[in-house]
Amino acid sequence: MKMLLAATTILLASLPAAAQKQEVLHLYNWNNYMSEETVKRFEDLCKCKVKQSYYGSNDELLAKLQAGAKGYDVLVPTMGAVESLIKRNALMPLDKAKLPNLKNVMPGYLNTAFDPGNTYSAPYAMSITMIGYNDKKIAELGLPTDTWALIFDPKLLEKLKGKVTVLDDQRELFAAAARYLGYSVNDMDEEKLKQARDLIRKAKPYWAAFNAQSYIKELTVGNIWVAHGYSNDLFQANLDAVAAKRPFGIKHALPKEGAVLALDAMVIPKGAPKPELAHQFINFMLDGRNSADLTNLIGSGNPNDDAQKHIKPEIKANKAVFPDAETAKQLEMLKDLNAKQLRTLSRLWTEVKLK
Amino acid sequence: MSPRAARLWISSPPLVYLLVFFAIPALIMVLASFRYAGELGGLAPLVGSGDPDELAGLTLENYQRFFGDSIYLELFLKSFLYASTTTVLCLVLAYPLALTIARSHAKWRDLLVLLVILPFWSNFLIRVYAWMIILGPQSAFTRVFNGALGLAGIEPVALLFSPVAVVIGLVYVHLPFMVLPLYANLEKHDPSLLDAAQDLGAGAWQRFWRVTFPLSLPGVYAGAALVFIPALGIFAIPDILGGTDGLLVGNVIKQQFLDARDWPFGSVLSIVLTVLAVLFAGMAAWVARGQRL
Amino acid sequence: MRRRPWLVWTAGVLTYLFLYVPLIIVVVYSFNDSRLNAEWVGFTTHWYGELLRDEQMIEAAWNSLLIGVVASAVSTVLGTMAGYAIYRFRLRLLPILVVMPIAIPEILMGVSLLIFFVMLNLTLGLVSIILSHIAFCVGFVAIVVRSRLSGMDESLIEAARDLGATPVQAFRLVTLPLIMPGIVAGALMAFTLSIDDFVITFFTAGVDSVTLPLQIYSMIKIAVTPEVNAVSTLLMLLTLVLIVIATRLAPGSFRGK
Repeated sequence: MKMLLAATTILLASLPAAAQKQEVLHLYNWNNYMSEETVKRFEDLCKCKVKQSYYGSNDELLAKLQAGAKGYDVLVPTMGAVESLIKRNALMPLDKAKLPNLKNVMPGYLNTAFDPGNTYSAPYAMSITMIGYNDKKIAELGLPTDTWALIFDPKLLEKLKGKVTVLDDQRELFAAAARYLGYSVNDMDEEKLKQARDLIRKAKPYWAAFNAQSYIKELTVGNIWVAHGYSNDLFQANLDAVAAKRPFGIKHALPKEGAVLALDAMVIPKGAPKPELAHQFINFMLDGRNSADLTNLIGSGNPNDDAQKHIKPEIKANKAVFPDAETAKQLEMLKDLNAKQLRTLSRLWTEVKLK
Repeated sequence: MSPRAARLWISSPPLVYLLVFFAIPALIMVLASFRYAGELGGLAPLVGSGDPDELAGLTLENYQRFFGDSIYLELFLKSFLYASTTTVLCLVLAYPLALTIARSHAKWRDLLVLLVILPFWSNFLIRVYAWMIILGPQSAFTRVFNGALGLAGIEPVALLFSPVAVVIGLVYVHLPFMVLPLYANLEKHDPSLLDAAQDLGAGAWQRFWRVTFPLSLPGVYAGAALVFIPALGIFAIPDILGGTDGLLVGNVIKQQFLDARDWPFGSVLSIVLTVLAVLFAGMAAWVARGQRL
Repeated sequence: MRRRPWLVWTAGVLTYLFLYVPLIIVVVYSFNDSRLNAEWVGFTTHWYGELLRDEQMIEAAWNSLLIGVVASAVSTVLGTMAGYAIYRFRLRLLPILVVMPIAIPEILMGVSLLIFFVMLNLTLGLVSIILSHIAFCVGFVAIVVRSRLSGMDESLIEAARDLGATPVQAFRLVTLPLIMPGIVAGALMAFTLSIDDFVITFFTAGVDSVTLPLQIYSMIKIAVTPEVNAVSTLLMLLTLVLIVIATRLAPGSFRGK
């Protein structure tokens, strides 16, 4: 007992002196969604410190905020979650006078139905959910790569048994099924959802796992040949494969039936401790050069017009990151669901996973 | 100090602490299981604002939903199966280990016990990731294992992303909780009982089965409870190591709170789980008390 | 004990192996020259260097240690009191309250504590984490201490009283030393549980308070780089050193939990 007390005292006494007279900006963001360099640049500019906390999904963010967590200055939710936060009256309206760089954003990404007039949100980056694959193996098997059939069609899956993972996310997987079956990702008609469930059930025996976290690693190592995943992660997987000198590359392909586009935007929660600093940060991130940093780092899509000239040419040429206008028409953003719809979907999801 | 005052002084601090930081929050969630899910997730208000379309107040609908749907019964049965398998395997693995430590020289026992706990001061996730490496299709272990199966004419098996991986993970994570209580019990055994049995002509197996094991039952039950109950509610291991049918109760509960944002239903599942777990613990305690010597 | 049945002994060794192979992989891979934690590529100490430069990771490790020490200290005190009270007096509420946190799914506890703290307007931070950890650790300590007490020889206490000791003296000089192994074991369990806790900490952590499990979880998506292996290895070593120091100063603490 005495030892524990002594240990505690020693620990407390030797803690690094926490005297910080600087202002601190609290950023709550996705993992790996902000370049270290950009953060440093901002810290030098504002003579402040940026403290980052991370979440892995919109639902995590919403759940924590719902339960009352506070103290964050800037959040980066996807547009569907932004809509939800606006409905809950959880966001502070942006002071456009403090955000001159907002004009840099491409008009196609402004003024969406989720946040008319961008009263609350400033678009930051985007990703598309698509299929990533081991180019060598898939070429050997002679399989098509531009269709969701690669993960849903049992005839194709036979050759891929145990080598496919899909996202462990009910919205994403049902959305992929929806596009494959030919209807909107936001169509929550129960009959259509049941069709999707049956489609998923038929394909499930061929899949290795529902995996939202380590599929990058599994693809790069070669345990998995096809993964349903996010474009940034798949971009990273390829970088890793090259770095590890693999005999194959990880390519990603946008299915022709359409896919989910996730546009993430910066918002300021009500009650943020440092709204001034938050506005400064958002304006900073809307500047072309700063915005391009993330794209160059993780291959994320970029809604910022001014950033285009700072982006590496090989990334700009990548159709999966910057799809052409035709394909872009096939992309949809996920709307947030109400309680009843969530309940229906959740029940179907449990069914899918249990049986 | 009078006995009554002593009783008050000693039992109050933990009692008050647990009442405030455990009982009250728990009651909040019990109440939550009788509320509607909020329109945008979370909980609907207790007192409605008079809007006829708005859901508010208390309801039994969450419980009705649970009991009215056989899929949840299946879910619980499956989790029970996994938790029981884990408990039995833990017992089989932990017993020889606890026995070895209890019977080793007194000077080594401390160290041996410490060595059992040591791995658990590294991080949980990283240890589970280590299992991903060990069970991955390209690892040495998997190749040897499948090679052996091949010799017996059996098809190669995917070890990772399968129920096998989940059970291995569950056993691995809960093992010390079985070892420690067993060891605590075995250490108190009087060696002269075994000597007496041997003198009476009992063989090694008989000495174990008729003397050691019965005496160790309280430890067995304590260990079983400390493994079975947490194993019922765990979700991280099926998430990471499980294949496409790795869904357990813990995962569904997590889903309700995070993805579906249906807190009332999540509370219902949690409460049913807790009640079952407590019943089991109560049973174990009751049997142990009956066996105590 | 001269009896050494080789079957039992071999089984014991194999079980130790089972416990340690993953750990050895963790340690060995902390020197792996590859960003991925998937297969061995080459030897490097690069990740340890990365770790020393990674402020956030170090802060997370510090926080975890601090929370672990404080939470286990307080829960040991409260748990010992609870264990003793349950053993000595005929209580009805406390035994139930002590067992419940172990039975309840962590998510439920995490969410309910968060709601509760918000209701109280308590700023989330290290304090809220510590308070939560104590809540679920007290039970473990109490059970262990209670179990140890029930195996204790009451006549020793009576003897002390007969010799003129007051109840407090009897407790301090007889009971306490006898149950010390139980208290220490309980403290160890509490520390282990606190250091590795993810779910409850996830919900009750504040904006500025990252613990190691939270930090590692936030890295899962991109890659659990060998830096994580490095910090796990170091944390484990550090804890081991602390414990060894503690046992040197209180010898025989483990004997007969």
